[in-house]
Amino acid sequence: MKKRKNNNAEAQVKRFSIGMASPAIIVLAIMTAYPLIFTLVYSFSDYNLLKAMSQGVEATGLKNYIDLLSDSYFQQSVWNTVKFTILTVIFEMLVGFAMALFVNSLRKGQKAMRTLLLLPYLLPTVTVAMIWRMMLSPNYGIVNQVMESLHLPVYNWFSDIHTAFGMLVLIDVWQSAPFVFLLLYAALQSVPQGQYEAARMDGANSIKILFYVTIPNIKKSLALCALLRTIDSFRLFDKVNLLTGGGPANSTSTITQYLYNYGIQSFDFGFGSAGAIVMTVIVLILSSFYIRRAIK
Amino acid sequence: MKKKVLAVLLAGTMVFSMAACGGGSKGEDSAEGGSDGGTTQMSIVLRGGVYADVIKECLPAFEEEHNVTIDVQELSEDDLHTSIALNATSGDGAYDLCMVDGSWMAEFTESGVLANLSELGYELDDDIIEATTSICYVDDSVYLAPYYGNVTVLMLNKANVEEAGYSADTIQSMDDIIKICQQAQANGKLGFLYRGDSQNNLVVDFMPILLSYGGWVVDENNQPTVNTPEFTEAMNAYMELVKTGEAQVKDDLVASIDSGAATMGIGWPGWYTPTEDSAADYIALSGKATADAEANNANVYGIWCLGIPSNSPNSELAAELLTYLMDPEVQRGTVESGGVPCRYSSLQDEEVLATYPQYEVVCQALESGVYRPVISQWTQFYTTLGTEMDNIINGAKTVEQGLADAQTELEELMAE
Repeated sequence: MKKRKNNNAEAQVKRFSIGMASPAIIVLAIMTAYPLIFTLVYSFSDYNLLKAMSQGVEATGLKNYIDLLSDSYFQQSVWNTVKFTILTVIFEMLVGFAMALFVNSLRKGQKAMRTLLLLPYLLPTVTVAMIWRMMLSPNYGIVNQVMESLHLPVYNWFSDIHTAFGMLVLIDVWQSAPFVFLLLYAALQSVPQGQYEAARMDGANSIKILFYVTIPNIKKSLALCALLRTIDSFRLFDKVNLLTGGGPANSTSTITQYLYNYGIQSFDFGFGSAGAIVMTVIVLILSSFYIRRAIK
Repeated sequence: MKKKVLAVLLAGTMVFSMAACGGGSKGEDSAEGGSDGGTTQMSIVLRGGVYADVIKECLPAFEEEHNVTIDVQELSEDDLHTSIALNATSGDGAYDLCMVDGSWMAEFTESGVLANLSELGYELDDDIIEATTSICYVDDSVYLAPYYGNVTVLMLNKANVEEAGYSADTIQSMDDIIKICQQAQANGKLGFLYRGDSQNNLVVDFMPILLSYGGWVVDENNQPTVNTPEFTEAMNAYMELVKTGEAQVKDDLVASIDSGAATMGIGWPGWYTPTEDSAADYIALSGKATADAEANNANVYGIWCLGIPSNSPNSELAAELLTYLMDPEVQRGTVESGGVPCRYSSLQDEEVLATYPQYEVVCQALESGVYRPVISQWTQFYTTLGTEMDNIINGAKTVEQGLADAQTELEELMAE
């Protein structure tokens, strides 16, 4: 009798849990799973937005994937994206962490400094791109004017194959390092002060305190920051599209820019979907380490 | 029991929210697309910049006369292309009138994106420069009306050209242009500026030079002709020009030539309005490779045409608006604001020429211009060709290798 009562209670709790979770599950299914499944289905077809109106859609099997993976420009775009992601994540983490340590160490003016350092991250990407385009303009840009006055060589920054990629890395670091700063600064605030005092009493210098107290205490935040920045950097599109269009000579073409040029612009959504699926898989692989740790 | 009630309430809230999100369809649409208190609402989508500005200034008179309000959406070239295509896929169209680049004509008409203007009672008149109407017909029916006469011109800095021993009137051929740019470079200035910021810009920038050497990107059967002696010769000449300058975006290009920092570049009339005192001017390319060579049509159209989407909610009224905007008098009135009608009555008008003498050059260029190939694969075509040209210009490939690769890729594209 008692057992049956328990079973009833368990079933009731289970039903209630399902009832509570169902709205979120339904919304998630509509907003995430449905488009993802559609993209996957499209990726095996010759779906073209305009041609589909008159000629319909035909299944093409793995053709889109074979075309994509055998295209040397796609391979170059993957390599550019990986290179860009690695460089920006490393620099953003270093700069953001340094900024967080600096602001955290301030005795006065922390709020003002925090606001100032956050400004680049608050700007829309289009504005950031336009600001840098103006500053680096070969015609009236302040950077070239200063370099000229110092008798240094000047460059056509976004059109020179030797400088275009570096400029995109620089701009992304400038804009996104404050995001890392914000997260790590919040994490630093939660490090128990007692640990610092104990370390100092034991005679630890600043470097040792950094490596044996600060970093171990904020390592989860560091990992989260690195993951978020990796995913975001991997999806880089707007800055490339606005500033270089993937050129010169494909040196700045990222996966998203490639998909835009060869899939979206020509409404070849079947091909574009295959690219999107490949990109999702790469991001999943890159972030799997963190996701596995989070699930554990 | 309480839990059950809570669950039912939450589920109910969700259903209502979703119904509210998705349920604003027919009633709202009809109110927007139709009349609102006797006033009809129309929506038009245009290429942003001077092209839209000249249309916007004409609208109040039409709105008053027809008791309509017209919502104008201004977009960049890429966004305009995408918006029109996306609009075509829905049953109820959002736009009544749209601006269309000539190079989109094939893919739009093949897919039924545009309405047959002849069926709506609109026909092109004889005042419109005939060459500009060549892509506007499908089986004798009009689908587009050439509105803004954009055609490539050679933009130049007068002082730099004179310093190199020439004047705008004495530039006879591509040989002269190369010599002027090389001399300008020797004088410490930039010679030729090209637009390397996108594949489309690069290809369009190169096309007038290609035409001057007697080449073209496709043959009469729309098969790629990229790996030909004419194309190679033109590419080599382009490389000579590129060596004297650098890649710049539109605004930088105009500013550099106007300031004298650079000497020449391929431009469009809508970018710059030269006056007698201005430092820069533009001329139509002669179409000759050398002084003794045969002259080719070397001016490439970038004409912005007007069309009506086939799913326009107010197609008859849209046809009236199109007729009004294409009216010779209305078009002539836009000249003061930077309009470039494709009409003799505007471009050869004595009063207009007295104030804007450059329209003579524009008229000549429009009379002998060439549209980009009318093929539905044009977007993929220029992306492929522009990518290979970019590789050549930046030394990633030789001219021969780049053009051979482009030819192979384009043949595959056209065979699909």
